[in-house]
Amino acid sequence: PRAMSGTMCSSNSVVQTQKLVDQLRLEASMERIRVSADLIQYCKDHRRSDPLLTGIAASSNPFKDKKTCTLL
Amino acid sequence: MACQGLQKGETLASLKTESDGLKKKLEVERGKLNDVELHQVAEKTEVLGALSIKTRRVLKGHGAKVLCMDWCKDKRRLVSSSQVRTSTDLWTREHGVSLPCTWVMACAYAPSGCAVACGGLDNKCSVIPLSLDKDENLAAKKKSVAMHTNYVSGCTFTNSDMQMLTSSGDGTCALWDVESGQLLQSFHGHTADVLSLDLAPSETGNTFVSGGCDRKANVWDMRSGQNIQSFESHESDINCVKYYPSGDAFASASDDATCRFYDLRADREVAVYQKDSIVFGASTVDFSLSGRLLFAGYNDYTINAWDVLKGNRVSILFGHENRVSRVKLSPDGTAICSASWDNTLRIWA
Repeated sequence: PRAMSGTMCSSNSVVQTQKLVDQLRLEASMERIRVSADLIQYCKDHRRSDPLLTGIAASSNPFKDKKTCTLL
Repeated sequence: MACQGLQKGETLASLKTESDGLKKKLEVERGKLNDVELHQVAEKTEVLGALSIKTRRVLKGHGAKVLCMDWCKDKRRLVSSSQVRTSTDLWTREHGVSLPCTWVMACAYAPSGCAVACGGLDNKCSVIPLSLDKDENLAAKKKSVAMHTNYVSGCTFTNSDMQMLTSSGDGTCALWDVESGQLLQSFHGHTADVLSLDLAPSETGNTFVSGGCDRKANVWDMRSGQNIQSFESHESDINCVKYYPSGDAFASASDDATCRFYDLRADREVAVYQKDSIVFGASTVDFSLSGRLLFAGYNDYTINAWDVLKGNRVSILFGHENRVSRVKLSPDGTAICSASWDNTLRIWA
């Protein structure tokens, strides 16, 4: 009887612990996403459309003819 | 039976050993991430070349310190405000009119371009519809929307002309219905004056970030009023907060002479932009369109352009003759406008 109940208990424990181990294995094997990598990727993806970074031709930049304005 | 029991016992023991081992491994792996700063992750990113950004316009005409400015979505108009005690001093570049708003510390263009909001030492934030008719009495059209119990430090419309967010020296932020003036939501959590706020880019949902004299930067859920994330790493007042264009991070400028960058999904600070030679407070920040550059205005009259990923300073923009109070990227990313205590605004491109 003791052996029996002991076996029953340990079955549950085994199942539970197995689940835990499976979960931990998953987490441990996960490529630790360096979340900052997405931020870097965003910069790369939008690099070409960043006028201040790439510099745009004077002809297409409305601000590039230097003037001093006085506002009324 | 006895044999089975033994096997299961062994299995359990070995599983436990394995789980303990895995837990330790996870701790180590996570710990590794905590030590990594953005510039380390960005080691392989190409270095930036020299920037060719210079002053292209100097806007004179304010009779006093320019404290705040905002771009209109049409990319050509600006609204700017200064601290003049008696006369009207808020005006748009196109109209060149003074709008009836005194003691202004914060101003913003409505998304439609048809109105501006202004607020400051009167503890209110008001909305003024713009008119092409120069004779129109704008003072009569000015409408009080927000009412705080201390100065209004920041204001922004949400994605329409209908709602407005404000930050205040009373330590709170608030969301208002412009039409009725009704308070829709208030945000409590800061333990001192809130000096700045910024709305998340619309794609990322209804959140905003605020920063203040309690050295904290808080991220809020606009609908529930809840403080969902909080960052406390600055050593002095946070004067300005600004979202990274993707909405997954934000930068802050502080009296501690540093600017910092926070990754929202990693829930931590990932970069500090500082130099031994920079000893004056940073008052304002804004990103370039791709998020690669961070422009920061300082109390030493300069604007520094930082490489967000690598952490080094790429350029210094000289020109202002007093503190820089605000820098803002134009809506199409082609220029930066800066406002200063030297009574001028400059456009850099």
